[in-house]
Amino acid sequence: MKIQAVKRTIGKFALWLRFYLAFLAARLVAFGCRITGRPGTSLPGVAALKIFPGLVRFLAPGYERVLAVTGTNGKTTTANLLAHVLRKAGVRVAHNAEGANMLPGAAAALLRDCDWLGRPRSRVALLEVDEGSVGKVFAAARPEIVIVTNYFRDQLDRYWELERTTALLRSAVTELPGATLILNGDDPLAAAVGRGHPRARCFGVLRDAAPEPGAGSWEGRGADSGETREARFCLFCGAALQYRYYHYGQLGDYFCPGCGFRRPDLSFAAAGVSAGDVLAFTLHYQPPASPSLPPQGGTSILLKAPLRGFYNVYNVLGAAAAALTLGVPAADLKAALLDYTPAPGRMEEFFFAGRPCTLALIKNPAGVNEVLKTILARETEKALVIAINDLAADGRDVSWLWDADFARLAGARLKKIICAGRRAADLAVCLKYAGIDPGRLALAPDRAASLRMLAQEAPEAEELYVLATYTNLFPYAGLLRRRGRRVEKGAAQGLPSLP
Amino acid sequence: MRLRVCHLYPDLLNLYGDRGNVLIICRRAAWRGIRVELDAVSLNDRVRFAGYDLIFLGGGADLEQGLVSRDLEKKGPFLVEAAEAGVVILSICGGYQLLGRYYRARDGAVLPGVGLFDLYTEAGGKRLKGNVLLRLAPELQTEIRQIYGRGGAGPPSTLVGFENHSGRTFLGGSVRPLGRVLRGCGNNGEDCSEGVWYKNAFGTYLHGPFLAKNPHFADLLLRRALARRCGEVPLAPLDDTLELHAHDVMKKRLQKGFIRVR
Repeated sequence: MKIQAVKRTIGKFALWLRFYLAFLAARLVAFGCRITGRPGTSLPGVAALKIFPGLVRFLAPGYERVLAVTGTNGKTTTANLLAHVLRKAGVRVAHNAEGANMLPGAAAALLRDCDWLGRPRSRVALLEVDEGSVGKVFAAARPEIVIVTNYFRDQLDRYWELERTTALLRSAVTELPGATLILNGDDPLAAAVGRGHPRARCFGVLRDAAPEPGAGSWEGRGADSGETREARFCLFCGAALQYRYYHYGQLGDYFCPGCGFRRPDLSFAAAGVSAGDVLAFTLHYQPPASPSLPPQGGTSILLKAPLRGFYNVYNVLGAAAAALTLGVPAADLKAALLDYTPAPGRMEEFFFAGRPCTLALIKNPAGVNEVLKTILARETEKALVIAINDLAADGRDVSWLWDADFARLAGARLKKIICAGRRAADLAVCLKYAGIDPGRLALAPDRAASLRMLAQEAPEAEELYVLATYTNLFPYAGLLRRRGRRVEKGAAQGLPSLP
Repeated sequence: MRLRVCHLYPDLLNLYGDRGNVLIICRRAAWRGIRVELDAVSLNDRVRFAGYDLIFLGGGADLEQGLVSRDLEKKGPFLVEAAEAGVVILSICGGYQLLGRYYRARDGAVLPGVGLFDLYTEAGGKRLKGNVLLRLAPELQTEIRQIYGRGGAGPPSTLVGFENHSGRTFLGGSVRPLGRVLRGCGNNGEDCSEGVWYKNAFGTYLHGPFLAKNPHFADLLLRRALARRCGEVPLAPLDDTLELHAHDVMKKRLQKGFIRVR
């Protein structure tokens, strides 16, 4: 008996020793990153995990609650919204806010938050998790609430195909029987994750808000169909899914004529969405005790957030659903959403060359389509820079450009589209075949030149836009900040802005 | 003059922007004043392949390829008939594999193919992915030079594109490769061959809209498709500055290795 006790003590001691070494290594690397001017969002985590692979599993139990956000589009915005709401409600949150969303990023975020005794400073850990890393991160951090935004084709050179990505998540959540899943019910791929799970709750958007009345079944066959929609077939029986209406992509009110799989009853439903400069909608929800909504019932609250783009409805819904599930009072939620500042590069607003200039991240067809819809909703003369890179973080393969619906730009009031980045030429060809007059296209040799060209268009363009893939995003944000200035959203609408 | 195009399974085999190739063919025909009729043909549709000038087959995910493979058991023989009659066929990635004799999965299970091309595919371990540069087969180079005539810089003798596949394809004796790999892996990463070419039917692993950066190859397909019904018609020249620039940018990058563009 005694020997066992000694062994246990030694085991514990070894664990702590490894934690300290990992902790010190991470601090050292973080310091190194700081003096060399690197962001240092995941490198300290890489170093720490080399020394102590079980680090996240070691630190995560110290938190009252561990939350995770995953999916293709909207992870960062959803997680940032939720972190903001929780902080406004007085809860300290550890959050990998910089988009370092694989295991090292999670490790780095938790290490930053703990003291030298491994005690967390925050009550809640909120992890944004890359779709490909859910297996590793969920097994280590064991989140109690998992939010799933949606699944779209993205970086197929890394993930091959959607079926595999969603299967990863399905197997990861079966390991978490006690967790609450908060799923986008409008997306058959996300909703399917909750099938048979005891605690799955769905959010979605009701019909009156459908900007795209597409009744009946799949439309858009052949080469000229505008949008690429995933998940045309039921995951459970293979029959073609039928839709009462679409919102965008494959998001909408679907049902399977074969096996009865359908959009689940919504626990959090948005109605009366208006998406202009400010997003506003009525949220119908049931207090967490009851499982789902009767059509007229539950509680309603009007929510507003300074976000542009219809697609952000889903991000606000996901964050609101998690906040309400955690017991944040509805009034606090409403107040917190009002003074949210968008994440870097998510429709971030600058003032450049005497014109408003918006910087937006684009990374996959569904995201491009939503950004284009948002931009074109305003009837103004515009000039654009679109910067496409093909480094590992962007996706090495740029075929996805051809699945995006750039044809929308053909009829728009556009002065010029300036193609930039390592794959500027590919983009230019894609735009030409999408029906955009080659006379309105220009190729820029580098980022600085592309902004100079954009400034030349400014006198005749009322609005400027920069759409950039991931590795172009932060360099452009830096250039725009230096050559222009960032606009504080809250202040622009006469709302109190954060200090 | 008109061109009848059949896009096979556009709703299933559309993984990597495949519809881009169809769009490119149709636009390049339309810019030359040719009337294009485009049909989408999918599962259980009845179809007369011989009535088309050009048939296109893209790549898809495993689930979709399974559905297509079953449907092709019915349509396959007619597709072979059309290929023998000289209809132009372009098959990419998954579609390319489906037109072979068989596909052997990792567990040894054999999925029969259409048998249009004398080749077979075996599942491999590591995925072969990345940008590819290949030198076109000499006969195809000659044909392309004839289309464009003398003068100017002349069309490229190469194709550029992106591959991403785990299957290894091996050609039989009665078919020729589309070209020789200069950078990348190609059919199987061993024998430097890429793609296949039999009569007017072509297959390649260069996926997605590879015709975008290879307008000369798009025109070769177009010329052959028109020749079957209308005889030799000269193709009016188009302004391919952008397309050829994109071709050259990638070609230079692959020849020099990796250069960071600021």
